[in-house]
Amino acid sequence: MASQRDVRNRIASVKNIQKITRAMEMVAAARLRRAEQRIEALRPYAGAIRRMTREAAQAAGSVPRLPILVEHDNVGTVGLLLIAGDRGLAGAFNSQIVRAGVAAGREHDGEGRSPVYLASGRRPASSLSFRGLEPAQSFVGFSDRPAYADARRIAETLIAAYVDGEVDQVEVFYNGYISPISQVVRREVLLPLQQATVLEDGDDDQAEQEETGQRALVEYEPEPEEILQRLVPDYVEISIYRALLESTASEHGARMTAMRNASENAGEIIEDLTLEMNRARQAEITQEIMEVVAGAEGLA
Amino acid sequence: MARTKFQVEVLTPEGEVFKDEVEMVSTRTAVGSIGILANHTPILCMLDPAELRLYKSDSEVVHFAQAEGYMQMSGTHALILVEEAVPPGDLDVAELRERLSEAERAADRAGEDTEKQRVAQRNKQRLEAFLRIAGSE
Repeated sequence: MASQRDVRNRIASVKNIQKITRAMEMVAAARLRRAEQRIEALRPYAGAIRRMTREAAQAAGSVPRLPILVEHDNVGTVGLLLIAGDRGLAGAFNSQIVRAGVAAGREHDGEGRSPVYLASGRRPASSLSFRGLEPAQSFVGFSDRPAYADARRIAETLIAAYVDGEVDQVEVFYNGYISPISQVVRREVLLPLQQATVLEDGDDDQAEQEETGQRALVEYEPEPEEILQRLVPDYVEISIYRALLESTASEHGARMTAMRNASENAGEIIEDLTLEMNRARQAEITQEIMEVVAGAEGLA
Repeated sequence: MARTKFQVEVLTPEGEVFKDEVEMVSTRTAVGSIGILANHTPILCMLDPAELRLYKSDSEVVHFAQAEGYMQMSGTHALILVEEAVPPGDLDVAELRERLSEAERAADRAGEDTEKQRVAQRNKQRLEAFLRIAGSE
């Protein structure tokens, strides 16, 4: 049986671990709140871009056939963008993305398309390398707090690869944020961009109705066709930015849950060890009494 | 001289950065410099990276280094959507220089008439505009 001192040392170390996991849980909770606010902050911008696109498309008569809207005839190469975190200790958050991405890659491979992996976050980048699926490009260092510029960098890379014909389709995998305790793996086709996505009706129909009367008078600078050439790629940037933000919120949610479980487990271990320590102490006392009694008996 | 004021809202993907009444807005569109006063004709324009100046009065001007974006003016209200709007004081010259040389290298590496090259050119343009603004501080 372990001595009292051993057990006491183990209790001390488990308590230290519990302190760390509690602190991590609280940090994750604070960051989760910030990440939720950032998802909210994107909404008015995305809505306004969508409204402008619809207006410009109406003024132009149609959406021009931009390269990113045109499907490639032969899909030979598929780009798979895996969005996860820079750090671990967040439950299944990172691994479920890698698993889904690799499974999709195998699926494409089986159907004669070669997958090309791209990673956002250190974890998916290193998991992919470990599996021998070296990512073509990794974007790291911002999973805690992605900026729009990070999304733009990823979008530019993907759009350039698509337009220059290096890939014929792009899919994105990320943890969709539902609630602090619930995240779900999302798989979306990013490129070619669907025209329906661009012109989909948002929740801002009201605003559009009001402006219908003056549309004919609106001046465009430059021509609406030219403005659309930039508005449409913005959808790719916004989609990636939203995926990054949701992934960040999911990461903090997953870490919070994982750390709460770890703290609870540590609490249970501490209870068990305390019990064990009490038993050890009792056994030692009993032993000592037996020895005293036996000694007394021996003298008698 | 006090001019008529109108409502201006500046939105970025990361949130609202400005919402107030101003006398004039000045920035750069894809066609050239533009100044907007109250009751301007309804207009939708595409903005290039530039210094965005919001004149609350002749003496009180709010500046931003602004990335690509759009401005929609509808009589009494201007909505400015930009990918980034950074107060000039927050620009990091060293970092901008580094990213600019990176973009220049990428532009040199990319083949003629590829999307990669256009992307690098756009980045170069934005970074050069930001550096000019940082330099004039």
